[in-house]
Amino acid sequence: MQLYNDFFGRFGGRYVAEVLRKPLDELEQSFIAAMSNEGFLSELEYLQKTYIGRPTPLMFAENASNILGGSKIYIKMEGLANTGAHKINNALGQALLAKKMGKSRIIAETGAGQHGVATASVCARLGLDCTVYMGEVDMARQRPNVYLMEMFGAQVVPVSSGSRTLKDAVNEALRDWASSWDTTHYLIGSALGPSPFPDMVREFQSVIGKELVKQIEENVKEDVEALVACVGGGSNSIGFFAPFIEQERPALVGVEAGGRGLGNGEHAARMTGCGVEGIVQGYKSMFLLDSDGQVLPTHSISAGLDYPGIGPQLAHLGETGRVIFTRATDKEALEALRFFARHEGVIFALESAHAGAAAIKLAKEGSPDKAIIVNMSGRGDKDIFITAKIIDGNRWRDFLLSEAGDA
Amino acid sequence: MHKKRIMAHMIPYYPSPEASYDVVRGLVDGGAWALEVQFPFSDPTADGPAIQGACTTALENGFTVDKGIDFIKKIRKDYPKLPVFVMSYASIPYRVGIPRFVSIMAELGINGLIIPDLPPDYDEGFYEECITRDLQPVPVVIPDMTEERLSLITDKAGEYIYAALRKGITGQHTELGEDNIGLLSVLKNRGYKTLAGFGIDSPEQVAKLSRHAYAIVAGSVFVRICKENRDDIYGSVKKKVEYLLL
Ligand SMILES: Cc1ncc(COP(=O)(O)O)c(C=O)c1O
Repeated sequence: MQLYNDFFGRFGGRYVAEVLRKPLDELEQSFIAAMSNEGFLSELEYLQKTYIGRPTPLMFAENASNILGGSKIYIKMEGLANTGAHKINNALGQALLAKKMGKSRIIAETGAGQHGVATASVCARLGLDCTVYMGEVDMARQRPNVYLMEMFGAQVVPVSSGSRTLKDAVNEALRDWASSWDTTHYLIGSALGPSPFPDMVREFQSVIGKELVKQIEENVKEDVEALVACVGGGSNSIGFFAPFIEQERPALVGVEAGGRGLGNGEHAARMTGCGVEGIVQGYKSMFLLDSDGQVLPTHSISAGLDYPGIGPQLAHLGETGRVIFTRATDKEALEALRFFARHEGVIFALESAHAGAAAIKLAKEGSPDKAIIVNMSGRGDKDIFITAKIIDGNRWRDFLLSEAGDA
Repeated sequence: MHKKRIMAHMIPYYPSPEASYDVVRGLVDGGAWALEVQFPFSDPTADGPAIQGACTTALENGFTVDKGIDFIKKIRKDYPKLPVFVMSYASIPYRVGIPRFVSIMAELGINGLIIPDLPPDYDEGFYEECITRDLQPVPVVIPDMTEERLSLITDKAGEYIYAALRKGITGQHTELGEDNIGLLSVLKNRGYKTLAGFGIDSPEQVAKLSRHAYAIVAGSVFVRICKENRDDIYGSVKKKVEYLLL
């Protein structure tokens, strides 16, 4: 994989109003220079080890595998990274780069809040000011993460425009950046946006896949037939897949949010039949758009997958067939969450549970001499206010009421 | 005295389908030289809260590209001499198909087409297509750009060029100083008719800019007027143009 591509097939590019041209040019140069700078790379590696807690383990899900009776399932435990998700890999890389570029302030957008928490945490660690834009809907459903961001000293700005979710938070961050880039870096949270972001985010997330290559060699006896990851914007999947893209195997499987079904506004499945080619938020990719090019509403039980676009490299890999896309519904994700919790003692983030659901299906079709590796991109602590309501409604309600009484 | 020309930005279907045509009448009767008609997009990243909110409302009111086309047809019929420019975001022409969108606009006889997120080096053939159809593409330039980039962009322009007067988004107040006035002088010397805008809300700005630019673009200021004066949109818009031209 080249470090800097700009376009992937016909997807990608830098479709931005002229005001954002200069900061993107500057970022591109700094990124390319940093990736061959020994000092930068060794500082990054040091922080990955001592601060993120890398490498994250690869766990054999023995009980799950036995129950399903098909291919063996392994779980890459990205959720064990500091702040609970893969998002910190990219947040650390970009924040370190921004610091080298002399920026003193970071802005970010967040959906599930994991990217916001990772960014806020890294800014606290590196001594940078931090502002995080978050849709009001997402703030309500991912409240614990709002609290954490504020604990790290970040300012969380509620976004009330549009659908009040991730895409609107991206718009607000782009607006902020258009006037603040002298001092401010916009730390995009997924492998999308105008170039060089898709390339940069992939490179910082590729640490997941690089570790996996070693861990497969050391720990996996079976033949690895598939790697499975959920796809919001696509940062955990592209980082997980990165070292394997130019090989023919294993199969690379991206799982989108099937939501409640395939009606407009009920899902976020861009690659499995509903998306069209478009140019939105500075890049060309597959989006959920109406026939006039207006962005359609989306739904997912997981805030992190609830986004109408997909990273351009994944769109391209989907089109060439290297990445196979599938989707999991809200319900399937919840079932997978409970299955792995009950049998493996791990709690997937709702986003990652979509990958878990697809892995369960695939494993059932396979045989015990094969392995499927699923990326648990994050752990589910943050989702407790969503999942508890569904799984343990009454007792959770009583608990919340008594807490509120104390407050 | 330099001639003061205002290119008034407006959004069809805001604040309502009917009232948006009152806006047109108010702008024209108030003395606007030209209209910049924005085809609202769901995610207008270069716009501030006023225009962004107006775009959301317009879409909720049922704006579609077809309705936008009808809207322009009506303007062309009622005001055959009024220059009309159309502004939108890449998603709309790209989805409709750039050749198709450009040819529709050319047939409408508009004076120029502004798509800020299709800059000349990522334009999907937009500039070529405009030239083929004899429609003027209006590229956007900003202060502080490199001479190289400025030339690359101005080379793609026809008669008109759009100068955003500062970094950032629409709607915040703009100070006029060396950087933006300097840019306007360069463009004027090169013979372009510059449409200068972003953050214009006072007659003083209009007067000062008129010495350096062909026309001054004002937009958010009218959106705010529409919001505050629901009962007399026509009259208050008209008065605002007259005030800016004082
Ligand atoms: C745990 C987790 N997984 C996955 C995602 C989806 O993003 P991406 O596809 O960019 O990895 C998010 C986004 O917030 C997340 O928090």
